[in-house]
Amino acid sequence: MEPALLKPTLYTASGALLGGRCACGHVFFPMQTHGCEACGRHGADLQPLTLAGRGRLLSSTVVRFHADSARIAPFTIGKIALDEGPVVRALLVDPDREIRPGARMVSRMVSVGDSAVDLRFAPES
Amino acid sequence: MARTLRDLRPVHVVGVGWHRYQNPSDTSYVTLGVTAIREALADARLEWPSVESAYIGTALLGMASGRPMLRHLGATGIPVTHIENASASGSTAFRQACIEVASGISDMSLAVGVDKRNPVRRESTGIDHLAEDAIAQFTHFSLLTNEYAHRHKVSFEDIARVAVKNHRNGAKNKNAQRQRERSLEEVLGGKRVAGSLTALQCTPVGEGAAAAIVASEEGIRRLGLDRSRAIRVIASTARSERVYEAGLGFDAVLTKETAALALAEAQISAKDLDIIELHDAFTVEELHYIENIGLCREGEGVHLLKEGALDIGGRCAVNPSGGLIAMGHPIGPTGVGQIGEIVLQLRGEAGPRQHAGAKTGFAHMVGVGAVCYIHILQAD
Repeated sequence: MEPALLKPTLYTASGALLGGRCACGHVFFPMQTHGCEACGRHGADLQPLTLAGRGRLLSSTVVRFHADSARIAPFTIGKIALDEGPVVRALLVDPDREIRPGARMVSRMVSVGDSAVDLRFAPES
Repeated sequence: MARTLRDLRPVHVVGVGWHRYQNPSDTSYVTLGVTAIREALADARLEWPSVESAYIGTALLGMASGRPMLRHLGATGIPVTHIENASASGSTAFRQACIEVASGISDMSLAVGVDKRNPVRRESTGIDHLAEDAIAQFTHFSLLTNEYAHRHKVSFEDIARVAVKNHRNGAKNKNAQRQRERSLEEVLGGKRVAGSLTALQCTPVGEGAAAAIVASEEGIRRLGLDRSRAIRVIASTARSERVYEAGLGFDAVLTKETAALALAEAQISAKDLDIIELHDAFTVEELHYIENIGLCREGEGVHLLKEGALDIGGRCAVNPSGGLIAMGHPIGPTGVGQIGEIVLQLRGEAGPRQHAGAKTGFAHMVGVGAVCYIHILQAD
């Protein structure tokens, strides 16, 4: 059986991100229908757009402390400018290593717990 | 924009006061708030019944905290409005009090910030996210620290010098939460929370209160207040985040556009500023903001810092109160407390923290969301 996606509204099993595009051309993540942040259009003017899960690293940081004890430190957060435009902040695969800004990044599915997978980013190999 | 504060009738700060910012304690918020208000009234040499309206800046006290506090000053029946605007709650309360007086609706208005450290609750927008629940504020600013260091080829040690300066200033401030000088080694040696960020480079969120009373010319005359200690508010601007180019730091860009409006309203340039109180919740922010306010070009903030230009007695004293890093950041009070520090500085009443000859001061806050509030004050 395929493991369940931890956040199925945000990505696919292949690591694509579920974004959207407005009629004005603004590309955003994740998909939503509340309204476009760039122009205010809503409803059918906002259409799903699959984002490839590739981009350029703007910054990363190793987090050594988190108030929620269920979230075990260290973990690494990366800020990635996706090729389609949106900037996302996500966990990186390697929990304890900062990566040089400018690196090409790609999404990877990683097991979390016994039966789920979650999306992370790692440098393109 | 139809009109600015400057286009309306003049507004002056006539009284300022605090309850010291401190670690969470069992002191009630009522004690915190009335202590600050009574100090501001005494500073203005004013009686409470002369105050015609009150704006309460608070982010963490929950619903309707103001009246149960103000009634202990004597219930005068004045309108009371609560302002929640994240870190900028106090700045926003101050702006609304200024607008109330500038418009002519009140001659005397109170802005008070008061908060206790309580859990932050933010309702879901219904939009899920990849990892935002793992990203605390310090993680956001650690990402920005790494970007800044990389882009401008600056060392983490140099960025940490912001904290050394602000702890030094806070050590001279009886209302600061942290009142201890710290060496660069101590700042760098503390517990690392994320990346290069150490605990002494982060604001301690505690509790406290700050109050400012604003008045019209007519109110000052009618009540016989000391005109020579009144400090005029010559600009008040507020903006919220727009869609920026990917990779630009939104707090910095938002600060840039809000600062440009404020300086234009005040009809001055950044080089005219003697005092800046700004939102240094994390060390890198001070560099971002002084550059975007226009004190220097992007990436040059560290040079100013290292040559002492941002010290008390330097070119422009930045965060002479100790800033959020040392003075503290109890949320609601913070923006009002910045106004208080500037008023003391422009009156020449800042004691061991006095920046000689200070004439013009600039108060800057950003709040999660994101919003930005700026006030400029000037001595006659």
